Amino acid sequence: MRLFWSFTRQSFHSSAIYRFDFWLQLFSVFLMMYSVFWIWTILYHQRPGAFGISLEQMITYGVLGMALDTIFHPGRGPQMYIAQQIRSGAIDTDLMKPLDFHLHMLARHFGETLFRFSTLALPSLIIGYLFLDLQLPAGWAQGLLFVISLLLGFMVLFSLNFLLGLLAVVTLDIRSITWAYNGIVRFFAGQMVPLWVFPGFIGALAAVLPFKSIFYIPLSIYIGRLSGSEAWQAIGFQLVWICVLIPLGRLAWGRIHSRLVVQGG
Amino acid sequence: MISVRHLTKEFKRVKRKEGFLSGVRNLFSAEYTIKRAVDDISFEVREGEIVGYIGPNGAGKSTSIKMLSGILVPTSGHLEVNGIVPYKDRKANARQIGAVFGQKTQLWWDVPVIESLRLLKDIYKVSDRQYKRNLEIFNDLLELDTFCQTPVRQLSLGQRMRADLAAALQHDPKILFLDEPTIGVDIVAKEKLRTFIREINREFKVTVLLTTHDMWDIEKLCSRMLIIDHGQVIYDGSVEQIRDTYGGSRTLVVELEEEVADFSVPRAELVKSEGRKKWFRFNRLEASPSDLITQIGGRYPIVDLTVEEPEIEQLVRSIYQGQGRRTEVM
Repeated sequence: MRLFWSFTRQSFHSSAIYRFDFWLQLFSVFLMMYSVFWIWTILYHQRPGAFGISLEQMITYGVLGMALDTIFHPGRGPQMYIAQQIRSGAIDTDLMKPLDFHLHMLARHFGETLFRFSTLALPSLIIGYLFLDLQLPAGWAQGLLFVISLLLGFMVLFSLNFLLGLLAVVTLDIRSITWAYNGIVRFFAGQMVPLWVFPGFIGALAAVLPFKSIFYIPLSIYIGRLSGSEAWQAIGFQLVWICVLIPLGRLAWGRIHSRLVVQGG
Repeated sequence: MISVRHLTKEFKRVKRKEGFLSGVRNLFSAEYTIKRAVDDISFEVREGEIVGYIGPNGAGKSTSIKMLSGILVPTSGHLEVNGIVPYKDRKANARQIGAVFGQKTQLWWDVPVIESLRLLKDIYKVSDRQYKRNLEIFNDLLELDTFCQTPVRQLSLGQRMRADLAAALQHDPKILFLDEPTIGVDIVAKEKLRTFIREINREFKVTVLLTTHDMWDIEKLCSRMLIIDHGQVIYDGSVEQIRDTYGGSRTLVVELEEEVADFSVPRAELVKSEGRKKWFRFNRLEASPSDLITQIGGRYPIVDLTVEEPEIEQLVRSIYQGQGRRTEVM
């Protein structure tokens, strides 16, 4: 646990430097939240009642989804770090440390995420609450369930990203795959559009894939679409995937370590 | 301290495909080339030694250091670092070794040096007392306090290397791997680094395995030298001995007053000629530079002259060519 805290502290030190970058990111998040707000307002105006929930709920879903994108963007996970270290050969310095590699990546990524949450996601949420009709969760219980499912969503995303990062160790380059991966994750995670709006087959596929753990489940719990036993079921779904993905990642790492090629030097 | 027996590492490299979705196609690719980077190497390093581990680029130096630090798993052979097999117990091994890779840093690029040291303190579970004591030593010997509040990206290369040494040593490792620690560093900073390495070796009995292309690093630091090429040990012995046996050839460069036709001098060989400049190679044991200068100067007026010591790569090559594939074990 101390390790997680150390990495978090380090993230705060390293990221606090680029002030201009920070304001630019905050501005672009706000822009995205604003667009989502208008798109749903217009769609609801044209076809009221077509999306299964109220406009306020849908705006909350969309705006929250955009705000959480600052921490859950699939293009900013451990796979980018691993790929970069592999490309530059600096992965040596990571493996030199007396740390379990999987845990090391988790702690590092956890620190970065916590940093981005407090500096980007939280301000965006406040802006959304003040200006864009973002509503508070339906109640304390619902809010607590949301936080739990958000943490589990983090674990699912981390595990998927870690597996993709391992691919970088094998192929030495994942730039072309990353692009497709980011698209798939964001689509099936229900970040832009909730899964119940998806048509038949795609909806059924999205319902079994792990991606919905990242955005759809926490967001639906937040707006109260999933509550009570349904919410617990969804959290169970997240737990099952975590129990599959973590051992898979660790197993894959064990296999891959023996064929690791360190570039350069 | 370090024991390596019949160590071999082969790399299977995927032949890269190009173009659209190359990453995906590489996944299904079955074309490999096999490269033997380390080929049946054996050596021992005793506690407290500083061993120069040298050889030309691509000889297998870094690969063997990576195996000794548990990063790479050997294809075959046996290795042990202070009783631990690195690839079997990477974490335990990591706690007893320190490493500096001259080309890479283990420090965080954007944060002050001291913050990286604090994080490493937590990673290595260094006690507060040990941390403070070591920091004092580093301030003393590396003048760490003059730049420990500066982000790594703003450091000079010499400072960065000193910071990396501090990072590698703060958990009191028994063994230190230095992979080209003086590369790109200016002469004054190099001297500081060498003094520090000598100091920690003497004071704390840290065993050092050092790769370098700088002959002076070897001469000033190492008692013993291991030369490898094409993944094999081709020399293992003292530094003095290698100078006497193989490093005998030097080059005298003379610049004459005017351009003259090539000429020969007894006991020296004209190896290069460029306008008014001539390069003569001679053996230290057969001829002295003053003899040669007298002989040449007697014939043509000399404007300028220098005597060049053989470069490390040259030395390695001459050993390699002279010895064939025979391994000399002392």
